[in-house]
Amino acid sequence: MIETIQIGHLLRETAAFPYRNLVTRPTGAAVRNRIEDTLSRSDCLTALLDFSDVELLDFSCAEEIVAKLLLAQASHRPRFVVLRGLREDQHDAIEQVLTHHHLAVAALITDGEPMVLGWVSPDARVAFACVCRLGRACTGDLADALGWPEPRASEALEALTLHRLVRPEGNLRYPLLVA
Amino acid sequence: MTRVIEVPAHFDDRSFDQFAAGFGAWPQEEKLLVDARAAQWASPYGLIGMLTAGQAIAEAKGERPLFTVPTSDEVKRYWARVGFFRHAADLFELHGRVPKAAATGPSDVLLDVTPVRAMEDVHQVVEKISETASRILHGELGLERNATMRFSMALSESCQNIVEHAGTSGWVAVQVYTFRRRLGRRVAVIAVSDAGIGFRRSLESTHAKRFGERWGDGAALEAALIQGVSRFRDPGRGQGLAGIKGFLDRWKGKISIRSGSARLSIVPAWDDDLPLADHLPFFPGAQVQITIPAQEAESR
Repeated sequence: MIETIQIGHLLRETAAFPYRNLVTRPTGAAVRNRIEDTLSRSDCLTALLDFSDVELLDFSCAEEIVAKLLLAQASHRPRFVVLRGLREDQHDAIEQVLTHHHLAVAALITDGEPMVLGWVSPDARVAFACVCRLGRACTGDLADALGWPEPRASEALEALTLHRLVRPEGNLRYPLLVA
Repeated sequence: MTRVIEVPAHFDDRSFDQFAAGFGAWPQEEKLLVDARAAQWASPYGLIGMLTAGQAIAEAKGERPLFTVPTSDEVKRYWARVGFFRHAADLFELHGRVPKAAATGPSDVLLDVTPVRAMEDVHQVVEKISETASRILHGELGLERNATMRFSMALSESCQNIVEHAGTSGWVAVQVYTFRRRLGRRVAVIAVSDAGIGFRRSLESTHAKRFGERWGDGAALEAALIQGVSRFRDPGRGQGLAGIKGFLDRWKGKISIRSGSARLSIVPAWDDDLPLADHLPFFPGAQVQITIPAQEAESR
């Protein structure tokens, strides 16, 4: 099950004025609290955060919303988190704050392939793209598709699993969402 | 006795130290007269620097300083149009005729002189600038189309530093003008200033020990701008300045932060500023200038 959360909608509900820009730490923290509140009442396995009606996302809000949400998810009830509707400048902010924390998140880019934002190895990025392309993969599938030795494919899949960038079912790994 | 502080004729980040030196020791005990009669031009950094001085004196319960307005009608009109006199009237006893501000500011002003007192003001500043920034940053300076967002992010993070670290309010202004002597090109300049506790005091309790005898205004600026440290224990802090540096690297821009008696800059190839200037005349709080040059034709 997927819980889709419109971040722009939450911003307008949270702020005193109808702002389009996600700026300042208190605003980011307030929006994150609303997200956590929604998720606490949901049985979903995956949270899809939709940024498509947000204009600006500054570093402080990227930190307060995305990084702290991932950190909290890791320590409470683990969910898969996917971002959608991000523009290039918004990637910049999220990429920087997640790299700082050694975190990563899957993102669906408008008119583009699913991608990883944050801190993962180059191999894990390639493996992520490959799993998305194949629809599902075990270590052997990945090794075959990329021409890698199995230990290398295994290590990359393990990294994706640890970062909750793919959904594990037995030996198989599935993309969180399809673009 | 009244101490006279002359406003430099060409008042920008370079001549700021001359202005700061005029005050002598802080807090002030003498009556002050800020004399702007000979002023011919002031950058946003200069304008909000004067307001910061007035604010610092007011917050130290000093006697309200006098301020003589520029003689030049053109300069007076410009300062009125960017909102300087509106705020200066609250901090200084103004002497000289001040023109009424026009309903709309000059077209090269992206953001009038604006107070930053709370996070709500940061929202307002970002909303306001996004309406006009794209035309100038992309159309006039040749930055990539989505540069407006990155510019606004830099503005947002700079203003938040006031609210989170200064312990008091501050000022911001954004303007486009031509760097004739240094660059020969148009630049967009974000100037942010506060009269607060400064970087050294803000970081002292958490970082001074690590620096030992080196600790001072310069070391505090180095810790914040180069090492990305923050006074907050939260490990996610300190990323705003890091993000700004990333944008400036892409745009060949410059950031310069002055606090107390030091100024630290990340200096692009087109500028000859010192990376670290120490033992400068003391000035309260912190002053930040972010300079983004028009992109050269080949890089567009």
